Amino acid sequence: MARVRVSVRDARAVAREVGLTGARAVGLGGAVDDVRQVARGWRWGRRSLVPRSAEPYVEDAEAAVFSTTWSRRPAAVAAREVAQKAGLEPLFRSQVRPTVEGLDVLGRVRPPVIFVANHASHLDTPLILLSLPDAWRRRTAVAAAADYFFDTWWRAVGSALVFNTFPIERRGGSMAATPGEVLDDGWNLVVYPEGTRSTDGWVSRFRMGAAWLAVEHQVPVVPVAHRGTFAAMPRGQGWPSPGRRRVRLRFGEALRPAEGESVRDFAERVRLAVASLLDEDQTTWWEAKRRAVAGQTPDPSGPDIAQWRRVWTQSAPPR
Amino acid sequence: MSRPGFVLEVDDRTPPVIVHEGEGFRLEQFPLGTRVIYPPEALPAVPDVGAAIMQALLHPEDSEPLPALLRPGMRLTIAFDDISLPLPPMRKPDIRQRIIEAVLTMAAEAGVDDVELISANALHRRLTAAELKSIVGERVFRSFYPQGLLYNHDAEDPAALTHVGLTDQGEDVEINRRAAESDLLVYVNINLVAMDGGHKSVPVGLASYKSLRHHHNSKTMVRSHSFMDHTKSHLHHSAWRMGRLLADHLKIFTIETTLNNNVFPSPYEFLLKREWEWSVKDQASMLAVRRGLAVAPDRLRHKVFHDLRAPYGLTGVHAGETEAVHEKTIANVHRQQLVEVQGQSDVLVMGVPYLGPYNVDSTMNPILATCMGLGYFFNSYRGQPLVRRGGAVILYHPVKPEFNQLHHPSYVDFYEEVLAESTDPAVIEAKYEQQYATDPWYIHLYRTSHAYHGVHPFYMWYWAAHAMDHVQDVVWVGGDRQAVRRLGFRAASTLADALEMVSGTVGGSPSITYMHNPPHLIADVR
Repeated sequence: MARVRVSVRDARAVAREVGLTGARAVGLGGAVDDVRQVARGWRWGRRSLVPRSAEPYVEDAEAAVFSTTWSRRPAAVAAREVAQKAGLEPLFRSQVRPTVEGLDVLGRVRPPVIFVANHASHLDTPLILLSLPDAWRRRTAVAAAADYFFDTWWRAVGSALVFNTFPIERRGGSMAATPGEVLDDGWNLVVYPEGTRSTDGWVSRFRMGAAWLAVEHQVPVVPVAHRGTFAAMPRGQGWPSPGRRRVRLRFGEALRPAEGESVRDFAERVRLAVASLLDEDQTTWWEAKRRAVAGQTPDPSGPDIAQWRRVWTQSAPPR
Repeated sequence: MSRPGFVLEVDDRTPPVIVHEGEGFRLEQFPLGTRVIYPPEALPAVPDVGAAIMQALLHPEDSEPLPALLRPGMRLTIAFDDISLPLPPMRKPDIRQRIIEAVLTMAAEAGVDDVELISANALHRRLTAAELKSIVGERVFRSFYPQGLLYNHDAEDPAALTHVGLTDQGEDVEINRRAAESDLLVYVNINLVAMDGGHKSVPVGLASYKSLRHHHNSKTMVRSHSFMDHTKSHLHHSAWRMGRLLADHLKIFTIETTLNNNVFPSPYEFLLKREWEWSVKDQASMLAVRRGLAVAPDRLRHKVFHDLRAPYGLTGVHAGETEAVHEKTIANVHRQQLVEVQGQSDVLVMGVPYLGPYNVDSTMNPILATCMGLGYFFNSYRGQPLVRRGGAVILYHPVKPEFNQLHHPSYVDFYEEVLAESTDPAVIEAKYEQQYATDPWYIHLYRTSHAYHGVHPFYMWYWAAHAMDHVQDVVWVGGDRQAVRRLGFRAASTLADALEMVSGTVGGSPSITYMHNPPHLIADVR
């Protein structure tokens, strides 16, 4: 059979003409089209999405047990120091304008502690870590969702190296290291008891894990509240909004579980402390204090108004 | 735990979806809002197949245990489903082999000498020795084939047929003489889809044209809603009448098996997964397979597909009285294949794969492709069809006018002579069926070569009769234009074009449903 040389462009045009768009689509052009279609369809380089109607049928991923012990060894600590101080911090400050208050509480507490914060953005973790004094920062690990940050090896290695994260299982399951073990090794923890980033910037229900850890291991909890990270980089956004937006961070007085205090009660006390810090950040320490004593601290879960108004309020940068 | 089937609604997050088209597949981006029906995932397989078979034989449904039915001096016949089941063929050992070996072991222990094994191929082509061996296994083959005791049913040998009687509706029941005159007939089935099994095994698989014509005709097919639901199928009602008549004359011990949905072996597992759950490896496998197929010569591509052997798992084996067994079998099939779907749609989209029951190791010619799409897939429903009456069907298949001369000689003439004249099943039946069914050359090829019977292409066309009667428009995406025109349909290059073509029937923004199979699924349309 005689072979006829045709250019890829011609071949594809012919293929389209005769309806050869299936398995016989021609040569290199077909390969490029296929790869492009897969890259687009399966969102190469981005997190894959599940069609909405298929969400009820998606099985909880069996998170691979990923050990992060290495990330708390001296070599990794040194590498992290370089990554955070030489890379992360300049980058972070080039994108947002952080203001930090209340660091003096750290002078009145001995590590290890659990930093309990509200969670509205991927900016929260660098904001908290980079706001801590260096000595504290170097000894602080971050509890991160195993199904999100540890679903692929490169994401796991990256986040463990730069942010000193270790996986916690949001849905229950096996883990390489428990938060308790990390605490017992003398590391401070950053825990977001909401379990996930807020969808509208307001604070949702606090789970009990952080309070349970504090009661079980008898370590203090340092409440942390921040505002503005939702406005700067909300859920779904991959990079902070332009304009170096203001973000505010406030550390509160450490809380210790009282003798015989239940986990539930302590968790509520921690949530109130975070709520009071948010109130303080919006008003003044004195006003927030008086409202707290009177039991009138504004509910951090926000007013019961239309969703768009909730988002609208939170998407404004803090004053 | 395997997940149930479900109906996906295509949204902006949905990646392209696999659509089979002959010896290949494509990724199709369906319009937003399209419903995609996914079959349930493969059920867990029975862990100990041998123990399950023994349990079925020793504790049968509404029957004495098999050993109690065996005695010295008796005539025992074992009939089994032919190579049209399962699809794709099963990885060795075939489940029929496992069962036949167990039955023969019991027969040997009981001192039964007179044993014959018959492939119940009705008007299908005769199986080759190698194909028989692949079904029954080497031990059985070596013990029976050289002595002529393992053979194909011959529906055109008057000496090998016996007329058992007439049903209350005057239907002839004529089946294999050896089977009919046996003291015990053991039938070993693979119930791949809901249409198989029950009384469709013996009265159809071992029958003659004289008997088959009562239910294999266009009138019966149009009334079978659908033939995947034996309670609503006129074809099955007829077969059931015949089966009950036979059961009065003959002791039948039915053994039915069901398989799970593991139809694609490595590296084609991605075809079993839901697209948005594809790992990087699945995406790479898909790309590699797709590009490999695109550059492969036709012959190699054909070989790649037809060499596939499915790693099925057994989901159930039941034995005993035919109807009691079949009830349990159907429950198993439904457990694996049933998907609840709410309501019909304007357009039904189906991808016709490389394989149907009648082109194992052969070519899927345009008539078989029609049978597969408008026959088997269209009828894969319970309740009501997935597409509304007067709606449109869009099929994917190359529909090349290529025929296997060894297996499908009468198809060539059917395509060239009959379809050129008319595509109406009733007209074709009235005008041409007798001529083809009694043609001495086709009968000769059926009996001595490996050809499907002369009447077989008519039956394929009748399978599609219900769909042709129900829908207004049929468009083949990627189909050969001339061949598709000969079939009485239209061809389009892309889905968008096909939707444009059917817009005259269903409007500019029709509701669309795509059946994501294989693996098999039955849409339970509410």
